[in-house]
Amino acid sequence: MTDKTNDNIADSCLPGGLIPAEQWAQPQTSVQRSLKDAVRHVLTQLQAGVSQAEDPFESMDDLPELSGVQQSRLAPEPDYSRQAEAIACALKQARSEGALSREVVCLVAPPFSGLQQALGRFPEIGKPGVADSDAEGWNIIEPPHTLSFSDHDAGKWWDGRDLSRPWVIPELADFWLRSLSGLALVRELFRRVANGDTGPGIVGCSSWCWRYWGHYLENAQMSPWTPAAMDAERLGVWFSHLASGSGKSPVVARMTGDGLYVLPPAEGAEVEKTKGRKKRKYSTFLRDLAATSRGNPGVALAIWQRSLRARPDDDTKLEEADDKSNTRSKAADCWVVPLGRLSLPSMPQSKESVTGFVLHGLLLHNGLDMDSLEAVTGVSTYELSLVLSRLKRAELVTCDQPGGRWQVTPIGYPTVRRHLQSWGFPLDQF
Amino acid sequence: MIEDLGIKAAFASITGQALLKALLVIVIASLITVAVQKVLPRIAEKLGGKPRLYLLASVPLLRLLIILATIVIVAPILVEPSFENMVAIFGALALALGFAFKDYANSLIAGIVTLYEMPYRPGDWIEVDGQYGVVRAIGTRAAEIVTPDDTVVIIPHNKLWNSLIANGNDGTDNLMCVADFHLEANHDVSRVRELLRDVAFTSPRTKTWQPVLVIVFNKPWGMHYRLKAYPFDPKEQFQFISELTARGSAELARQGVKFVSVPVSVS
Repeated sequence: MTDKTNDNIADSCLPGGLIPAEQWAQPQTSVQRSLKDAVRHVLTQLQAGVSQAEDPFESMDDLPELSGVQQSRLAPEPDYSRQAEAIACALKQARSEGALSREVVCLVAPPFSGLQQALGRFPEIGKPGVADSDAEGWNIIEPPHTLSFSDHDAGKWWDGRDLSRPWVIPELADFWLRSLSGLALVRELFRRVANGDTGPGIVGCSSWCWRYWGHYLENAQMSPWTPAAMDAERLGVWFSHLASGSGKSPVVARMTGDGLYVLPPAEGAEVEKTKGRKKRKYSTFLRDLAATSRGNPGVALAIWQRSLRARPDDDTKLEEADDKSNTRSKAADCWVVPLGRLSLPSMPQSKESVTGFVLHGLLLHNGLDMDSLEAVTGVSTYELSLVLSRLKRAELVTCDQPGGRWQVTPIGYPTVRRHLQSWGFPLDQF
Repeated sequence: MIEDLGIKAAFASITGQALLKALLVIVIASLITVAVQKVLPRIAEKLGGKPRLYLLASVPLLRLLIILATIVIVAPILVEPSFENMVAIFGALALALGFAFKDYANSLIAGIVTLYEMPYRPGDWIEVDGQYGVVRAIGTRAAEIVTPDDTVVIIPHNKLWNSLIANGNDGTDNLMCVADFHLEANHDVSRVRELLRDVAFTSPRTKTWQPVLVIVFNKPWGMHYRLKAYPFDPKEQFQFISELTARGSAELARQGVKFVSVPVSVS
């Protein structure tokens, strides 16, 4: 019974489950769509400097964007605790099947996949009442405040951490800086893991950081695992789960242009309903979205949130629908703007090397504050502030105010990745 | 002589109208060529990576195609394209070129050879007869390179026959850079090699998926280290080498490793 429950959680919270990283495949899209994207990318590069427009987004239709209430109802952020359970469940299954034999598992995922947040909730898994009740308590390894260490000091720092009982590092990118004194901690960790000096553990790592360390430690064979890419089917399941996962009525989303349905019908409900009705026609929106986001759930969700529209009076209706959710009286409708009409953030014209250093540095380290960014890129604070403010206006980066930590935005990530590729920077594998 | 070659007969049919027509075709072809030579490099500059190199490489090829197409269109307008007429015209042309413009013809033919052998393409960093720079354009007779000091050097294509041409990136965006360090002996060599490798890996300009190598030679005056790595863009090579040298030197000094302080002639 518990296994079945866990399977359901894994199916909806982590569609596709965990797979070895070398088996990861990008979601496919139509040739037409690929060509369209390539032409659009080239035109964007050519138009840089011609068009002075600074506004990154302009609504292409008359329907209003979702309000906060509507968004939290129709496209909310995922529940990372449930995602953590799904990951633990998938790892347990892989171990029981013999696919995973290492004590220390490396989980690699592209930015915004939610892996860091899910791993951060691992200590909650072993608590009573949670699905995986036989799991031991997980010990989160927090990064130090400063990341400059000599080899000797790095050894001492790791000696002070308890790696004998199950441990988890939610994000390895928080443990290093791309500077001469910033590599020691991760180097020492990998040495200990390779020597078998640690107990069972999980290392979560952003794909950009992992690629860097894969090149740096060319002989290390860590065989990482990764969440499977979100294809159209998985995105449909996941979006439906997010919108109706807490027992609310299923969401019906339709394209603004042609009225085609976007999300798959809820299981069970469709069988009885479609018996006497015409077969529904579905849009290719999810397939295009999966390709645009390269199967990245966080990016797909950000674009999904951006593409949803509601009628002006829908806000009150949604609240009513929420009140009556137990009786499943009404399905909440929302409208979806086609990807082609959605204006995603574009790269502003600037000195490409400096912009590239900044964006690449942010992705490598999963976000950095200004001082660290200066240390990593070698760009002066003054120039950094100019570049960052321009990128912020273009909605490509954002700054967490309390810590002053700069990060690439999920909705800007496809553009950033594509431009870094054009400029010749090292990329991740996803 | 001209009568013997049959040229007079070949050109007998040329009328004023035909001349105008041919002139018009040549002017249009020239305009297209100029447009291709001006517009495509500009577009290429806006694109990064491989698309830039492909677009630059297509310029001389397109120009050759335009020239060939112009000849094919203009020749029948001026003369009747019979076998005798063609032999007469091309025979006379060969004679004139052979005597009067031998070197020019030599460069033209070498120019055509460069288009399919491709010893250099626009965007390549090459060295010919001690001149190093990036190929800016490939003309019919000569190639233009721009040196790091922003000087344009014209290199006739006939250098292809008898000069050594070194090509740093050979049509790709992978160009290896080398930073040299001349150090006094009596230090931990493996530690210095590790440190210099880290210097390259921590540079934001490094293409980390390409090899990063540290080579060391034992010389009579001390140790000679060569740090080899690839920048993300060949245009960044000088910044890259400067950065590697500066950061490497600073870290070596911090570690107490001394540089040789006497003048050294490096062969």
